[in-house]
Amino acid sequence: MSVPVMTVPGEPRAAGTTAAVRAAGLRKTYGTGETAVHALAGVDVTFAAGEFTAIMGPSGSGKSTLMHCLAGLDTATAGEVWLGDTPLTSLRDDQLTTLRRKRIGFVFQSFNLLPVLDARENIVLPMQLGGLRPDPTWFDAVIARLGLRERLGHRPHELSGGQQQRVAIARALLPRPDVVFADEPTGNLDSRSGAEVLGLLRSSVKETGQTVVMVTHDPSAAAYADRVVLLADGRLAGDLADPTAESVLDALRGLGA
Amino acid sequence: MRTVVLAQLRTHAARLIASSLAVVIAVGFVVATLVLNETSRSTVLETVGARYVGSAAVVTSSSGESLAGDVATLDALDSVGAVAPTYETGVQVEVPGRGGSQYLSVQSVADAPQLRWEQLSTGRLPRGTGEIAVSDRARAQVGDVLTVSTYDADGEAMTSEITVTGLVDLRGDPEAGLYARGFVPEQTAREWGATHPTELRIAAGPGFESDQVVRDVTAAVTGDVVVRTGEEQAEETAADMMGNATALASVLLVFGTVAVVVAGLVIANTFAVLLAQRTRELALLRCVGATARQVRRSVLGEALVTGLVSSGLGVAAGIGLAALISALVGSNSAIPLSGVAVPFHAVLAGMVVGTLVTVLAALAPARAATRVAPLAALRPVDPAPLRSRPGVLRLVLGLLVAVPGTALLVGGAVMGEVLVALPGGVLSFLGIVLLAQRAVPPVVAAAGRLAGRFGGVPARLAAGNATRNPRRTAATATALLIGVTLTSAFVVGAASTRATAQAGLAAEFPTDVVVEGFSGELPGTLVSTLTGTEGVERSASVLAGTVAGPDGEPVGAFGVDRDEAAATLRSTEDLVLPGPGQASVPEWLAESWALRDGDRLALGGVNPDQEVPVREFTVRVIDADNPLLLDSAELRTLAPDASLGQVWLRLADGDPERQLDAVDRITDVVAEASPDTQVTGLVTVRAEIDEILDALLLVVTGLLAVAVVIALIGVGNTLALSVVERRQENGLLRALGLTRGQLRGLLAWEAVLVAGVASVLGVVVGGSYGLIGAASVLGEVGDIVLDIPWLQVGAIVVVATLAGLLASVLPARRAARTSPVAAIAA
Repeated sequence: MSVPVMTVPGEPRAAGTTAAVRAAGLRKTYGTGETAVHALAGVDVTFAAGEFTAIMGPSGSGKSTLMHCLAGLDTATAGEVWLGDTPLTSLRDDQLTTLRRKRIGFVFQSFNLLPVLDARENIVLPMQLGGLRPDPTWFDAVIARLGLRERLGHRPHELSGGQQQRVAIARALLPRPDVVFADEPTGNLDSRSGAEVLGLLRSSVKETGQTVVMVTHDPSAAAYADRVVLLADGRLAGDLADPTAESVLDALRGLGA
Repeated sequence: MRTVVLAQLRTHAARLIASSLAVVIAVGFVVATLVLNETSRSTVLETVGARYVGSAAVVTSSSGESLAGDVATLDALDSVGAVAPTYETGVQVEVPGRGGSQYLSVQSVADAPQLRWEQLSTGRLPRGTGEIAVSDRARAQVGDVLTVSTYDADGEAMTSEITVTGLVDLRGDPEAGLYARGFVPEQTAREWGATHPTELRIAAGPGFESDQVVRDVTAAVTGDVVVRTGEEQAEETAADMMGNATALASVLLVFGTVAVVVAGLVIANTFAVLLAQRTRELALLRCVGATARQVRRSVLGEALVTGLVSSGLGVAAGIGLAALISALVGSNSAIPLSGVAVPFHAVLAGMVVGTLVTVLAALAPARAATRVAPLAALRPVDPAPLRSRPGVLRLVLGLLVAVPGTALLVGGAVMGEVLVALPGGVLSFLGIVLLAQRAVPPVVAAAGRLAGRFGGVPARLAAGNATRNPRRTAATATALLIGVTLTSAFVVGAASTRATAQAGLAAEFPTDVVVEGFSGELPGTLVSTLTGTEGVERSASVLAGTVAGPDGEPVGAFGVDRDEAAATLRSTEDLVLPGPGQASVPEWLAESWALRDGDRLALGGVNPDQEVPVREFTVRVIDADNPLLLDSAELRTLAPDASLGQVWLRLADGDPERQLDAVDRITDVVAEASPDTQVTGLVTVRAEIDEILDALLLVVTGLLAVAVVIALIGVGNTLALSVVERRQENGLLRALGLTRGQLRGLLAWEAVLVAGVASVLGVVVGGSYGLIGAASVLGEVGDIVLDIPWLQVGAIVVVATLAGLLASVLPARRAARTSPVAAIAA
């Protein structure tokens, strides 16, 4: 079965040259005194542009917290985050919100779509919030690539889990953001839909130079990435290049997970 | 299960109480009404009772028989200590220093001290003839000498003088403010025209009980009389006085019922949403072994406790409100209030009504809660949209009720029969409420599409949210719809009633001001002076003369110039003006002369010396109180002695206050020019009716506003609860790029859509009811003028919508404050 390749208007992004997003000395603490929880205890990490990176770690390692801080969804207690050349930590809520329309894309584990809107409206929603109109050629390419042509008029409750995630990915890719953050995107899917979703994320990176940062606990999902960053107890605990399921599993075992 | 119920209550207490604010208000209203009614009754009883405190027995005659003859008989009884007959009459008094005379209602004071009940604020009661005590309303001082005008037994006018010895304090008497009262010895009252005593108050002799006295008195008196104990008489009199107040209480309770119904709708809605949120909890309960029945009972248990608590709060609030009103109104109003008398039935009614409404309202949501499948607890979080079933039964039932109801309503209006239209109105309204669930969501959707066009993404999302849960939207909108419908029905109905009444009044009293002389003629210069007075627009001279009727007898006639008079009159519908050769004959005269429209009438002069020829006129029978009306030139021919008898004036339109000022000016001018002249300002009658209608309308609107306020609380509640329900969704929106301001805008749009649609539908339905209602009530009266007060109707829509917007502020702020992460991770 031939899969249409996404073509990009304009020049392709150069891979591996600039940092798409990076953090320095990132700390996130909840509570005070004795009951304080140090979700992130000083993290320095850089994510290259045009790469598919997976963040992994046992429960409570702080991987979701790290992603939230990198994406500007949560404020860090200390440290700096840059999205490209933009420092996020000094921005106000409105500015961060505007950033999320164009420069950051999201795919969550569940509850990705607004139940009142159909697939098409969900896909264009972030751009619409910014008053932008999507490029029709690009829109068609994304839809075709994700196989959603027949589903555009359907509401989320009329779509299967896998289809819903594909709509979410289309939404994330449409504005061609600096980074797409995916938080356990296959957590609620069966293995076949899950593989499909991971394949789509990977091909978006390869074909259009999109940067994707994915949080996962599943080693076989992490194997789709170019690089795996390991977290344990709020700190960086490892960095793998060209991971396979086995190498990831070994690394996790090394963490004492 | 009890542990579960109590734990739920503890956790959700704040939210439940806030939701039940509606019940608190409704119960408070009902309780306040009942308490005020009782307070008023007890205040009046106390006052009236004061009069009969010393009386062991009271003898009255309903047929007006003279009781005077029984006085001696009763006095002779052993058990009777003293007998005081009460004589009542009325006189005109002039108080020194105050112009004009005023009416004084006079009562005799008992000779026996134990039967004197009057409380004095200063001075003392009269001891003999020539002395009087008066009430504050007379505005006299102790020591003033009053000039009294009375008519003696032969009808001859007499004046006398009397000195004020004391001022009587009539606090608490509802009629104290109506007219002044005077208290005189028995003899003076009889001199002033009192013929028979209206009652006999009897004090018990030393050592005798009132039962004994009553028995002895009953045995001793003859004729058609009633003997009661002092207490019984007090209650009887109080009940008479309270007649009106009871009617008022009944009316208030009708409004209370409306408030309770609206509160019930709000509670039902609130519980439905609360339970929808707790789907997973309920499913978990079912998983671990609770039966459907146990789940339903736990929900009803929560409702019961909520109902009891909010009813308790409502009762306290109602008593507090009544105490406040009592303190503000005081004891000198038409409905006297002093302190607070809380009857047990008020507290009971409040508790029962409030609790019952809450539990009943929770029945349907409780049943829905039992249908939650245990598996729902195990599914991943999936806030599926609460698609409600089509509800065919509701649709059919609604149509079954609404269609015949509307037919009855319209039929009643056309026929002018209130008794047909009223049940029609109730039925059709019930039908509309049932159909609202079907009708409202599509309208909201349509309005939302319109709003989305210029409101941007938040508006379109808001429209979607409102239609996503039709049952919830409809329930909220229905509560508001009821309140707005009733309010607009009254506003429009009253406007049409007023317009019709005014038109009728204008026809019946077409002159703004009538100046007429009692003895002799008015000076001819008066007309020009009056025309020049500020505020007077036009004038017409009316000649008065005597002519000889067809039977030769002299009869008074007026002469007018048709054009001049037509310009001055407000309406010539009833008072048809005669042209040359015509005579406008009032009905009473036409009857005695056996004349009909179109007959020929021969009139001549009364003075044979003047040699006035007989002339014939064509008759127009008119429905008016005037004498025979002829053209003024022709009257002068028939009655050469005719002179200026009346002047009709038309005032400039505008502010009733200014018109009343003009009447005062006219009165002054007339008093100077011609003392024995009366100025009747019919414009004041119209102004008074306007005032009464306005006051009534204000009160009614205020009362209905309570229902609207409750409904708006419902809107706020629904929004607050839906915000909590949609935490994840709102978090997602924030993550995707919706700013805080846009999120607040989203919720504001939702509130505006629901409140706006409900209020527009409400004024349309309510306005129709108002027009139809007015037509059916006034249909018998005559021609109906339908008036739609667009300004007030528009104001209702605007205010209700703005209030809905206001209701969204707090929930919106809370929603916007949550961080995107917290919302999604929930």
